[in-house]
Amino acid sequence: MLTLHNVNSFYGRSQALHDLSFEAPDGQIVAILGRNGVGKTTLLRTIMGLTDRSEGRIDLGGQDIGVLPTFARARAGIAYVPQGRMIIPDFTIRDNILMGGFAAGGARHIPEIVPELFPYLMDNLDRPGGVLSGGQQQQLAIARALACKPKILLMDEPTEGIQPNIVQQIEDSIIRLNRELGLTILLVEQNVDFAKRAAASFAMVENGTVVASGAIGTLTDDLVSRHMAI
Amino acid sequence: MFETLFIGLSLTSVLLLIALGLSITYGAMGVINMAHGELVMIGAYTAVLSGIYLGFNIFAAIPLAFLTAALLGLLIERVVIRRLYGRIIDTLLATWGVAIILQQLIRLEFGMTFFGIRIQGLGPGLQQMRVPSYLMQPYEFAGIMIQPYRTFIIVVTILLTLLTWFLMYRTSIGVQIRAIMRNPQMAAACGIDVRRVSAMTFAYGSGLAGIAGVLLAGFRTVMPEMGANVVVDGFLVVVVGGVGSLLGTVLSAGLLGQINGIVSVLYNDIIARAVVFAVVIGIILWRPNGLFSFRSR
Ligand SMILES: Nc1ncnc2c1ncn2[C@@H]1O[C@H](COP(=O)(O)OP(=O)(O)OP(=O)(O)O)[C@@H](O)[C@H]1O
Ligand SMILES: [Mg+2]
Repeated sequence: MLTLHNVNSFYGRSQALHDLSFEAPDGQIVAILGRNGVGKTTLLRTIMGLTDRSEGRIDLGGQDIGVLPTFARARAGIAYVPQGRMIIPDFTIRDNILMGGFAAGGARHIPEIVPELFPYLMDNLDRPGGVLSGGQQQQLAIARALACKPKILLMDEPTEGIQPNIVQQIEDSIIRLNRELGLTILLVEQNVDFAKRAAASFAMVENGTVVASGAIGTLTDDLVSRHMAI
Repeated sequence: MFETLFIGLSLTSVLLLIALGLSITYGAMGVINMAHGELVMIGAYTAVLSGIYLGFNIFAAIPLAFLTAALLGLLIERVVIRRLYGRIIDTLLATWGVAIILQQLIRLEFGMTFFGIRIQGLGPGLQQMRVPSYLMQPYEFAGIMIQPYRTFIIVVTILLTLLTWFLMYRTSIGVQIRAIMRNPQMAAACGIDVRRVSAMTFAYGSGLAGIAGVLLAGFRTVMPEMGANVVVDGFLVVVVGGVGSLLGTVLSAGLLGQINGIVSVLYNDIIARAVVFAVVIGIILWRPNGLFSFRSR
């Protein structure tokens, strides 16, 4: 279980999260929803320790990971699939995936589920990551996160700006990772239909804090239009 | 002509060692270390002092200078650079301060001159490192005069370049360093201990500077200012080669070193420097990121 208690987070002097509290029960997909610029990415970056500074408690299975440096949080079992993917263009696909292995400890290897989910990557392991299409790079970023052997996966708009034929594949793989591997996933998502299909619960973010949360069944059209309509 | 190229090649070698250290520390940490030249100087003094007090010859001085410079580099990283992470200008000024302190430590014989104590081998004057005579005596081979000391420099540099290549491209620590160079945040999010790896990288680059100092001491006089003179050339090599690119650094050191060597034989040192600067400016205008560079930073 990942729990945030009254978390504040800062970029330089400007505060991006305000007294944010929320929890992600084990084995669930939690959809993080909200308009552009409300702090969804910042929430994930704060959990990962990638903002300039944060306050409050971030609890993973009883341990306060909020005081740990980023690499230690990764080793504690949190993996990050960032917005914009951030794969390394001149590393091979293999090296991009194996990069995640530094969080897993021991010999680094490609996780068993990757060939099943993303056969294209496995067939092109020695090509540079930069030649992949946006959708394939997203798959690569997911494969890299899986190589971290995570307990929790943080995914930031995994289908944003991706060609429609791959969107379906990525959505299916997210659901499989949760249902088959039992991964807890924090899923930042603009597509409410997919969020409803995949997630068990949700947290609605506005102005850097959680303004509504609960089981996904309680995500009403009213809530969506109040906090997400532009 | 061959001998000219050869002399150019040995200068190039020292330049390459200096630039390799600069390039990997800048690449991995975004730190412009103005004290890098002083680490070269410390390496040279390590050779001089270990020769006087421990009876070390150049072969023993090389590993000792590597260790000394690496430990000093680690100290600079801990005390100064780590506290100024991400503040490039502050780091530049602070390491410049470190450079001045190091020069003064040598000039003032670790401060002992204040107590009227002299330490042989230190002070503001010039020092010499002894090189074994079998490395100094030129001999003829197949009609060509071979300078054994210059050959030695070249061989040491080749070995260290290969070692660096091996570390960077064939070891786990190398993968971590290259990942940090490209995206430090993502590297950390993948479980890489960026601070620890960066500190080790910094120590290694500093150690290479120390070795460059020993090699330089064999054909230049050793003095407190020596590092400041050579490090500018090191920066030029890095800028031309492209930050963090091993191949770029090697080719760029070769190019600039040879241009310098050839022009100074044909004309003189001053024109040679002018030509080198002209070439550097030309290349930067043509390729602002250097000859070889992954797009980042
Ligand atoms: N690196 C940064 N430095 C300073 N401010 C930032 C930085 N990144 C984000 N912010 C600010 O923090 C706030 C939250 O941004 P964030 O990127 O978390 O929003 P988001 O909900 O992910 O938006 P989007 O849906 O567009 O991805 C915004 O006001 C943004 O301007
Ligand atoms: Mg975002």
